[in-house]
Amino acid sequence: MRKIISVILMTLALVCLLAPFVFAEEAKAAASGDSSVKAMAAIAAGLAVGIAGLGVGIGMGIGVSKACEGSARNPGATGKIQILMIIGLAMMESVVIYALLVALGLLMNQKLFF
Amino acid sequence: MAAGMHEVLLMDAIVDPSKIPHNVTYAVLASVILITTALVIRRSLRMVPTGVQNVMESVVETFLKLTEENMGHHWGRTLFPLIGTLFMFILICNFMGLIPGFASPTSNINTNAAMAIPVFLATHYYGIKVHGIKYINHFLGPIRSIFALPLMLLMFIIEFIGHLVRPITLSVRLFGNMLAKHILLGVLAMLTPWIIPTLILALGTLIGLIQALVFVLLTTLYLAGAVEEGH
Repeated sequence: MRKIISVILMTLALVCLLAPFVFAEEAKAAASGDSSVKAMAAIAAGLAVGIAGLGVGIGMGIGVSKACEGSARNPGATGKIQILMIIGLAMMESVVIYALLVALGLLMNQKLFF
Repeated sequence: MAAGMHEVLLMDAIVDPSKIPHNVTYAVLASVILITTALVIRRSLRMVPTGVQNVMESVVETFLKLTEENMGHHWGRTLFPLIGTLFMFILICNFMGLIPGFASPTSNINTNAAMAIPVFLATHYYGIKVHGIKYINHFLGPIRSIFALPLMLLMFIIEFIGHLVRPITLSVRLFGNMLAKHILLGVLAMLTPWIIPTLILALGTLIGLIQALVFVLLTTLYLAGAVEEGH
């Protein structure tokens, strides 16, 4: 009984989350075809950084959690673990910086940002 | 960046920005700062270090330990000047971007490429110098017999692309970080009360230090991979 209720609530939540996308599609189809390139560039720029941030956020979370775990098991190795963690975080950060550069390129091309 | 494309910077008083761009003049300024500091310390060297000499000695010790740990004693000593200079230069350049009235030369991709491409060339130069023609073995993967020729070709292509990407990723990582920090500071200074850009300045200091460290660490690891005597 509880499982059925939770499934129904999850479906409702999913519909509520996806509804704005459907409305945006309808609105965009009604908008003029001239400025739709700018609109799509803006959406693409936002999505680029958003999705990159999603993956990198998960990756960094896993990395830092393992570093904390390793340091808790072996407090003497904290210095080395810290250095490795910083290197890993900088590597992952650079992926989201590439996505930011793509987004900036998109926005600057459409004259939306300087 | 917030008010328009042309901000008024300190070096405009000395050199016209349309003839010599900002990244060149500020890079020259960073070099002058480093050389002056080195000469001043050299004139008054003491056996028991104090003050600025202490700081410089600790930096030098850290990087000497890093290079010797990764590259062995002989190559660590030889390549240590490159590593140390890169770190100090990138650090000073990154921190210069935080001061109002200055611009960081590393927020222009030309400066970063000018640092990353010699590193790339140096890895291959030292690799060939140490290994001779057998340097190709580094590209061919784990199995090196005539029966594994398709695997060797595939590994060669993949390693080739991986090696070509290295200078690009080194320079773009530094460029992206510095540019993002600059834009973020500009936009937030325009929009929000003064406490928030101050926090971003603190974050920017940390990011500048970490990015300089990552550039130099990666350089060390690439060079160590090229000159290693293993396999």
